[in-house]
Amino acid sequence: MEIAADKMNDVAVVQIPVDELDASNAGELKRDIAPVLEANTRLVIDLSRLRFIDSSGLGAMLSCLRQLSAKNGDLKLCGMSRQVRATFELVRMHRIFDIFPTCEEAVRAFDGAQASPAD
Amino acid sequence: MATEIDLVADLRESICRHAKYSLGKRWPDLSPHDQFVAVALAVRDRMVDGMLATERRYRESDPKRLFYLSIEFLIGQSLENNLRNLGLRESCRQALAQLGANLEEIEDREPDAALGNGGLGRLAACFLDSLATLGMPGYGYGINYEYGLFKQEIDNGYQREKPENWLAQSSPWQIARPDEACLVPVYGRIEHAVDRHGAYNPMWMDWKVLIGVPCDMLVPGYGGRTVHFLRLYSAHSSHDFDMRIFNDGDYFKAVEQKITSETVSKVLYPSDAVIAGHELRLEQEYFLVACALRDIVRRFEQRHADFHEFPAKTAIQLNDTHPALAVAELMRILVDEKSLPWTDAWEITQATFAYTNHTLAAEALEKWPTPLLELMLPRHLQIIHEINVRFLRQLAAATPTDGARLARMSLVEESSPKQVRMVNLAIVGSHSVNGVSALHTRWFETVLVPDFYQLWPGKFSNKTNGITQRRWMLKANPRLADLITATVGDGWITDLTRLRGLERVADDPGFQSAFAGIKRANKEKLAAIIREGSYVKVDPDSLFSIQAKRIHAYKRQLLNVLHIVHEYLALIEDGQTPAVPRTYILAGKAAPGYWLAKQIIKLIHNVARVINRDPRAANWIRVAFIPDYRVSLAEKIIPAADLSEQISTAGTEASGTSNMKLALNGAVAIGTLDGANVEILEEVGPDNMFIFGLQATEVRAMREQRSYRPREFYERDPRVKRVVDAFGAGLFCTDEPGLFSWVFQKLLDSADEHLHLADLAAYLEAQQQAARAFTDRSRWLRMAILNIARVGKFSSDRTVAEYARDIWHLQSL
Repeated sequence: MEIAADKMNDVAVVQIPVDELDASNAGELKRDIAPVLEANTRLVIDLSRLRFIDSSGLGAMLSCLRQLSAKNGDLKLCGMSRQVRATFELVRMHRIFDIFPTCEEAVRAFDGAQASPAD
Repeated sequence: MATEIDLVADLRESICRHAKYSLGKRWPDLSPHDQFVAVALAVRDRMVDGMLATERRYRESDPKRLFYLSIEFLIGQSLENNLRNLGLRESCRQALAQLGANLEEIEDREPDAALGNGGLGRLAACFLDSLATLGMPGYGYGINYEYGLFKQEIDNGYQREKPENWLAQSSPWQIARPDEACLVPVYGRIEHAVDRHGAYNPMWMDWKVLIGVPCDMLVPGYGGRTVHFLRLYSAHSSHDFDMRIFNDGDYFKAVEQKITSETVSKVLYPSDAVIAGHELRLEQEYFLVACALRDIVRRFEQRHADFHEFPAKTAIQLNDTHPALAVAELMRILVDEKSLPWTDAWEITQATFAYTNHTLAAEALEKWPTPLLELMLPRHLQIIHEINVRFLRQLAAATPTDGARLARMSLVEESSPKQVRMVNLAIVGSHSVNGVSALHTRWFETVLVPDFYQLWPGKFSNKTNGITQRRWMLKANPRLADLITATVGDGWITDLTRLRGLERVADDPGFQSAFAGIKRANKEKLAAIIREGSYVKVDPDSLFSIQAKRIHAYKRQLLNVLHIVHEYLALIEDGQTPAVPRTYILAGKAAPGYWLAKQIIKLIHNVARVINRDPRAANWIRVAFIPDYRVSLAEKIIPAADLSEQISTAGTEASGTSNMKLALNGAVAIGTLDGANVEILEEVGPDNMFIFGLQATEVRAMREQRSYRPREFYERDPRVKRVVDAFGAGLFCTDEPGLFSWVFQKLLDSADEHLHLADLAAYLEAQQQAARAFTDRSRWLRMAILNIARVGKFSSDRTVAEYARDIWHLQSL
């Protein structure tokens, strides 16, 4: 999976480059995003391409959050479709991630410009 | 306003258009099934117009809506019913005649949608018809089983089950809605985490996903003004195949994963009792609940943001406990997804749900082991535990400490393994709880769940079941329907109490003669079906005694057989001819794993073989078992009945509805004071029914005191002894000695919980009375007509109106 990190205001921004994140590619994501997690403490993951996520995909997101938290970093999510957002809500994961409508809002939130996430 | 000619031309054009553009053929080239599909699609077009118009009408007032959750909907055939309700049948007949086709033949080709076992599923289908006819916004939610109830074949007297793949050729009635598919997680584990604010946040992880894909079957009310839908869900995997596995070359594993997901909606469980311990059944129940709730919440959110308004706009009826997980699912949605405080969510949940109980036996109440729930629905089990803790705490605070009472009322039974009591969950999570006949409701309140009744007496009520007269008279018995309309007008089609008008013609020779002629014609039709399906020639002038229903020990088909054997032995051994020639007609399916019920079918066939082959009985007794009982067959059997056998052990049948269908069609009942028989008796009067046997309280006392002594009945009454001995002697299994020794043993076993011998003598007397009454033609016809005239209470329109008034708070629009 091709994971490329852009920098916006010293925050790494990664777009998930697939429509579906599930058991067939969640492991691949975890592997390919590892260098980004190594190199950064402030990360935004853009899920706007994603149309479907299953529990493996959610597990991969959670793993990213935990790795960053372990080194006092943070992860924010953005660009969720209604369906993907519904899946986060279904399993209460919307309560542990900061979720924003757009990348810009997510990035700004790292600087405290936007206090509350979009839930 | 379209003229009749316009309608005929329009329908003809529409049928031909579907032949060409939906089926890709010219009308003359269509197969018989294709013809049915083309006609159904043309009718469906009109129902779609009706559904959209109904929705427009409803949206103007944003009414409260009912969602009826049922694991079964026993629909049967739809074409004729839809045409009649839409008022299009004559136009369709003419349109098809112009195309050189016959409407009745096309209607007969429709396979039954057998998405149910019996009473509970058929009740749900009748309710949908009544809701649409009454113009009350109410919708059904169920499962789109690929295989409905099995097809019954008889091989050497034994039931053989064949798969009933009713969707093999797809149903033209179903409108697929893939855009409204929903995701259903199952299995997995709870990860105990904290949220961004440091609060406990249990997360449901590592679940497997099912996709619920809905399709709608449209339900037109009588007159066509209102068209609702029944939404049925099929389970799909999240992808056609897991392409990764597929690409890795493991094609079979990819297919297996897909099939495993789709198994959930593959087959209807063939039993109307509890199916404990079957993991797939639990998955089915949750699948229905998850899909339905997701859709109901989505509809609410289209117009509302505040979930505190949810109960004012939404009523959800739980048809028995099979969808009771909906209580936990709505709590999960409100608390987990919508972030409502627990107490608010609980108030909303209780105000939304209502629960109907259909069970009389304590041992038949549904329970699920907590280890299985934890495996499949870990978050729901957490929620159920939380509901339970709060409920028991409240109970303990409000009433003096009584550990045994708390244990009885707990949602969790402290057995090994622990089990969740679905009836307790349904009662605690609902604002209303009802039984389905006056007797059953009393029993439910005082015997099954007395602690809950004592705690919340106002929560309990009775809603006696009903049937829709549109199917069970207008469609099933059109000639009688015409006669009734000619006599009292057509108001009875939407107000069954109008049948009271027939009382004045109950003694009228002209009306009696017309009624008798119709009954005779219906019996001739049934005789032809019996000849074709059971190879038995029966006399339409004989008394048709009919018992058609699921084969079950409590329904006591065995008691019916005992009477047949008595009549036969009295004839051949005593030379005592019956008062009238009789044809005993039985029909019904046995659950495939229910040994006793399957043995009863074999017994009926062997008794029939012996009697039907005996020339001494030729003019007096005929016995026929009609295979593959289903809705469309019931529509042919019921109008032909003279005598309706409703002979369950008192206190075992929650309501019964075949008793109502048969009375509506002018059959006189011989029955016990069980289920709705009690209320039918109140309506039609003791002169018009043959009541016999122990009452429910007597049966209960006999069981509790262990005072049933079958040997005493056996020794005391030579008639009883002779019948029982016939089974000991192997009279009906000479080529397989001992085959029916179980009958002999069961009847003389004091543990026979259905107390056959306690009721046998009274049953024989009642049968004598019925036979004598039948010989008095005018008296019998009067009884039959008064049954029709006085059965108005048992319309499902009345039942639904009572639910709407007392429970759902729904308006006609």
